[in-house]
Amino acid sequence: MAYFTGILPFLLEGAKMTLFLWIMTLALSLPLGFLVSLLVRGRFRPLTWLMEIYIYIMRGTPLMLQLMFVYYGLPFIPVVGPWLRFNRLTAAIFAFALNYAAYFAEIFRGGFLAVPKGQYEACQVLSLSRPQTLTRVVIPQMIRVALPGITNETITLVKDTSLAYVIALAELMHGAKATVSRDSNPAAYVLAGLIYLVIVFAVTLVFKKLEARYRLREK
Amino acid sequence: MAVIEVKHLRKAYGEQEVLRDISFQVTAGEVIAVIGSSGSGKSTLLRCLIDLEQADGGSITAGGVVLMEDGHYRSKKEVRRATEKMGMVFQQFNLFPNLNVRDNLKLAPRLVKKERADALEERCARLLRKVGLAHKDTAYPALLSGGEQQRVAIARALMMEPELLLFDEPTSSLDPELTGEVLEVIRQLAAERMTMIVVTHEMGFAREAASRVIFMDQGRVAEEGSPAEVLDAPKQERTRLFLRSTLK
Repeated sequence: MAYFTGILPFLLEGAKMTLFLWIMTLALSLPLGFLVSLLVRGRFRPLTWLMEIYIYIMRGTPLMLQLMFVYYGLPFIPVVGPWLRFNRLTAAIFAFALNYAAYFAEIFRGGFLAVPKGQYEACQVLSLSRPQTLTRVVIPQMIRVALPGITNETITLVKDTSLAYVIALAELMHGAKATVSRDSNPAAYVLAGLIYLVIVFAVTLVFKKLEARYRLREK
Repeated sequence: MAVIEVKHLRKAYGEQEVLRDISFQVTAGEVIAVIGSSGSGKSTLLRCLIDLEQADGGSITAGGVVLMEDGHYRSKKEVRRATEKMGMVFQQFNLFPNLNVRDNLKLAPRLVKKERADALEERCARLLRKVGLAHKDTAYPALLSGGEQQRVAIARALMMEPELLLFDEPTSSLDPELTGEVLEVIRQLAAERMTMIVVTHEMGFAREAASRVIFMDQGRVAEEGSPAEVLDAPKQERTRLFLRSTLK
């Protein structure tokens, strides 16, 4: 027990970093994913293709590889490379945000597809403009369908942040691993696992509340 | 004065012609019942009038504003000006599930006409009373019966104060016992001289409420006249066949 309380402050430092990475990734990838889903649906074909290629690359390669590429690989690109030399945290946020935006874009796209054509037609015959149709009618319905998928990805992201240990970012997993190596005692893994569980529990509660709110508005 | 005037309207989906040379006009206060078997082009006609479908040829003028002429559509702005005086009620109601009844009614006039809140509130309450749903003003569509949803949809269309109201099979997705309450509302509008075009399979309703009946067959207006002329003494063999098939 004394050992646990001894290593807890150090692991909590790591957990702080994990949470920061998690929040920054969400703050960037949710709006970015939304934008991408709009562009995929848009009428400008080349942009649609470009976005589809982006989604394909992000979903088709390991997140760990993307992380390593952003941190170690980008600086080697000719000409622009020197400007793409990020510190560990920036590189992690950048890679996670790009990756998760692709997944969120797909979830939003599914949500848009779930809004029946009749809703757009009702808006048109009521003379609503396109932006009004989108913000007042389509997006509120799309969000309701997308929310369970968003919740799922958001929880996955809590655990995926541990991948940042490959670029030696001082987050929770990194802290646990360092502690285990130093003390030759696997207890830090157990404690780290518990901390992840607590975080996921809190996140689940928040999203359950959100989902319930969107459901209630239907009734 | 013609509320809407249609000349030589044509439309095809690929090889299949759905509207072939349709011409008619509707004057203020008329109630037109459009009847015909499914696939005869009734719904497509209605949807072309309010620009939900693109026609391939012909002219449409609504409220004196040209929507299309000889197969050429006017500018988006003009098309919008021509269609904004029309309202439409769909077979599937298409209420906004994310808004309650009152907000369904007020959304469009608030955003499009930018009317004052108290004026909107007053009209909203009056129209909900008219369709008999004043007590459901804060309910969400999912909790209403089909008949109630369709009555809300009618009130929502009326909120925009249209000069012409289009109904696309307003009772076709309702249980038989719920069609009466919806038809009653439309009858009441007819009595108030609201100009309407109603695509319907309800022959009883067409007979009582319509001032004119248009029978469509294979994309053409096959017969047109008063309900007594078309429904009781049809001149065309096809009309007779259709009417016989709808008798229960």
